[in-house]
Amino acid sequence: MKETKLGEFEEVILLLVGILGEDEAYAFKIAEEFKDQTGRSVSIGAVHSTLSRLEDKGFLTSDMGKATAERGGRRKRIYTITAYGRRALEVSRDFKVSLWRQFPQFGFEFGRLNLNDF
Amino acid sequence: MREQETIPPKLAQRFLYWFLRDDLAEEVQGDLEEQFYTRLEDSSLQKARLNYWYQVIQYLRPFAIQKTNYFTLIHYAMFRNYLKISWRNLSKQKMYSSVKIGSTALGIAACLLITLFIQDELSYDAHIPDRDRIYRVIWVFNNEGDLEQDVFFQAPFAKAILDDYPEIEKVGRYNAGELFGAGSKEVRRADDTQNTHEKGFVYVDQSLIEIFQIPMVYGELSQALAQPNTIVISESKAEKYFPNENPVGKSLVLDNNVENPFTIGGVMEDFPPNFHLHYDFLMTMTEREFWPGEQTFWRASNYPTYVKLSSGADPIQLSEKMKGIIDNYILPVMLEAGITDAADNAKHTRFELQPISDIHLYSQDIFDDLSHGDIRFVWLFGTIAGFILLIACINFINLSTAKSANRAKEVGLRKVVGSHRMSLIQQFLTESILYSFLAFVLGIFLASFLLPYFNILAAKSLVFPWTAWWLVPVTLLGTLVVGLLSGLYPSFYLSSFQPIEVLKGKLRRGSKSSYLRSSLVVFQFATSIVLIIGTIIIYRQMDFILNTKIGFEKEQVLLLKGTNTLGDKIPTFKDALLQLSEVKHVSVSDYLPISGTKTNGNGFWKEGKVQEDKPIYGQIWRVDHDYIKTMGMQIVEGRDFKNTIASDSQAVIINQKMAKEFGFENPLGERITNSGAIWNVIGVVEDFHFESLKEDIRPLCLAIGNSPSIVSVKLSTSDMRGFIQSITGVWDTFSPNQPIRYTFLDEDYASMYADVERTGNIFSSFALLAVIVACMGLLALSAFMIEQRSKEISIHKVLGASIKNILVLLTKDFLGLVVLAFLFAIPIAWYAMDQWLQDFTYKISIEWWVFALAGCMALLIANLTIGYQAIKAALVNPVKSLRSE
Repeated sequence: MKETKLGEFEEVILLLVGILGEDEAYAFKIAEEFKDQTGRSVSIGAVHSTLSRLEDKGFLTSDMGKATAERGGRRKRIYTITAYGRRALEVSRDFKVSLWRQFPQFGFEFGRLNLNDF
Repeated sequence: MREQETIPPKLAQRFLYWFLRDDLAEEVQGDLEEQFYTRLEDSSLQKARLNYWYQVIQYLRPFAIQKTNYFTLIHYAMFRNYLKISWRNLSKQKMYSSVKIGSTALGIAACLLITLFIQDELSYDAHIPDRDRIYRVIWVFNNEGDLEQDVFFQAPFAKAILDDYPEIEKVGRYNAGELFGAGSKEVRRADDTQNTHEKGFVYVDQSLIEIFQIPMVYGELSQALAQPNTIVISESKAEKYFPNENPVGKSLVLDNNVENPFTIGGVMEDFPPNFHLHYDFLMTMTEREFWPGEQTFWRASNYPTYVKLSSGADPIQLSEKMKGIIDNYILPVMLEAGITDAADNAKHTRFELQPISDIHLYSQDIFDDLSHGDIRFVWLFGTIAGFILLIACINFINLSTAKSANRAKEVGLRKVVGSHRMSLIQQFLTESILYSFLAFVLGIFLASFLLPYFNILAAKSLVFPWTAWWLVPVTLLGTLVVGLLSGLYPSFYLSSFQPIEVLKGKLRRGSKSSYLRSSLVVFQFATSIVLIIGTIIIYRQMDFILNTKIGFEKEQVLLLKGTNTLGDKIPTFKDALLQLSEVKHVSVSDYLPISGTKTNGNGFWKEGKVQEDKPIYGQIWRVDHDYIKTMGMQIVEGRDFKNTIASDSQAVIINQKMAKEFGFENPLGERITNSGAIWNVIGVVEDFHFESLKEDIRPLCLAIGNSPSIVSVKLSTSDMRGFIQSITGVWDTFSPNQPIRYTFLDEDYASMYADVERTGNIFSSFALLAVIVACMGLLALSAFMIEQRSKEISIHKVLGASIKNILVLLTKDFLGLVVLAFLFAIPIAWYAMDQWLQDFTYKISIEWWVFALAGCMALLIANLTIGYQAIKAALVNPVKSLRSE
């Protein structure tokens, strides 16, 4: 049985795949982006392993990109987020928001914001 | 050059290709390269390369690693398949599998038992604290190249070395001589009247128990024997005489000596079985003198002496320095006594310090009256165990290669569908490890089942170490080693088949390796034959010992022990015994020609030659008038002692050896002296053996004297049970408080050679085992060969061969091998047994027929093993095996 829970690192990677989009979402770029966004460096291997795990869980699909002149003509594996993956991200976000709402101080603020905006 | 340097490190790339899944190669290489060049933009080449390495290493993750690579040590599916195939093979060929597993298990069981035995032998005295500083003093006398070594020292020796050599921290002695009242005694509590006979009495110094740091149950170690007339008893004896109480301060009466009871100074834990001394009652030497001046007397050596050195002291230097004792103490006394060659003797005498851990196994040539092990036997048994295991492994190899023909097709097919040679080797090794695992499990259970019998055989009390921490790891390691050892050759051999050839059916019969197989069979049988010859010779020597003319009649002699408690009632007791119709003679003497009875040592001179001549060393035995008759000894010259001749109290009867040593032409009427009394020689008794047959008969003389502990009764009866009853009746009227205690002379004599008998039994058991294992191998091998040749046999039969012809055809190859093995075995066996017999002065000669017998036995056994299979094959209807062609 495949594990379908989304871990913290997995969630970030999944989000980064979404942020980078079509051409840029391959292991090396994701690792770079991760470093830029979080300030923590991570090995490509670690990212790659997470990506393939996410793919196994059905949150991502991947395809080999077109051959280009860079990288000695080697193709990249481009990852795309699936609808299921998007759904998982949303569930995760909503869950956290609902938790934040129950958090005493901030819950109030969220409530007020909601009242004003909607 | 510069261009080259700005590429990622080659080695890292190669490493990456090696382990990475092929389908990931492109993207990963791309990613890493991109990373490398990006990195190069803002850091040094060095750092970029280092980072590349880091990234490569980071790819060592399960998802990225090539699955078919050997990098994964265990591929479960394949491994499961190997096991399944092994199991199928095992259950398909029940006979071969059981021979393989069974013989290996036997080998392992034998090995395990012997390992336990050796472990026990090596564990002697290992429990003593500070044992690396404790030594036993050895007296070495160089008698014209012959080293005479013993452990008995003069009473004042201990104090002298303690005073003179500061590196000696403690010195302690014991005295276990029966002459002094050690050995066995009648014991009772001071408030009791019933005596019990106990063995294991010894006199020891307080300092000796401190040297050994004997663990105490009650009482203080440092005070236990400090007071005169104190005794330390073992826990089990304390439990017997003082159940559930602390006996310290209570009293024991020994040998009815009510005036001088012993006070219990402490209770010690029982001596562990692997301590070289075995005593239950330690009597103190404090203020004890066996005769006036004994403790300062330099001319009697009765005390084994132990020293504990201060840490850092060099025992070799010390033993050199200890020569000073000879010059300062012993030599002056000897010269004063007028011993002319004393100075000469002193030059040839030295001391050695034997580490306490060597006492059990390295004391063959040291006279110490203890029974100990022998390092040679440890080696011998270890070697035998190794050989049996080797024979079992050989069976394994033989059967595996022999059966190879049947596996050839499997190997061929596996190769055709893409199996590497490596994985075939793995498969066969897995198989052999499975077999060896089963064999180990079986072997362990077999060993634990056989252990009680082995204990009887080896006179040990070993326990199977189920709970020992090493059992599981050693078993697993052993499984691996035996599995690999015996599986290596078959696996390489089997995996080397060329698929094309085996599938064409060329490599049919696997007879190519018959050289190896033959030599392995020869080896097995040579080992078995050596063991058979060894067994026969040991038993013949034992038979020789028990039945040789020993100079006295040991049959139908009953020995009553502990009769000294009868005191002056002894003569009446003797008369009462003579009233019994079965009794022919009765003699009262503690000196008997078996071990465990009294002995002594004296120098003898011709009368008046004490100053001039070298002494003849010999014993003087105190006997009564009926001794020679009771023992059935032969007077060859002169006469026996006579009651009626009063001067016989100054008479001796000497043995032939003494007459010879003195050079008496006509011994009768000669007068000899042991520096005290002067004795008239009135007779010469035929030499009789009174020490082990391992030694020469030494000079000895008999004189009338009082030594009342043992009464020997010569009988003539076929109803021993009835006689025992009547003699018990007589005993009880004389000594109602002490149960009768008796042994038989012939049994005591035989027990002197218990170790020889034990060696024989162990040898024969292992010989039997080796033969069984070898036969199992031969059985399976011949069965296989015959099966292979079934068509040949059938054709022979069709063409008119008789059953006899076929039997000859089938057996001659194997019998040839056995004959060859026999030729190899003869010199080895001859050499080994000749070495063994060197231990005995009186021994059999090795005769040719022993070899012939062993050879015939081997041939017969081999014949029987093969014969059954051969006859079965010869009787088969040829149609059955030819039908399919």
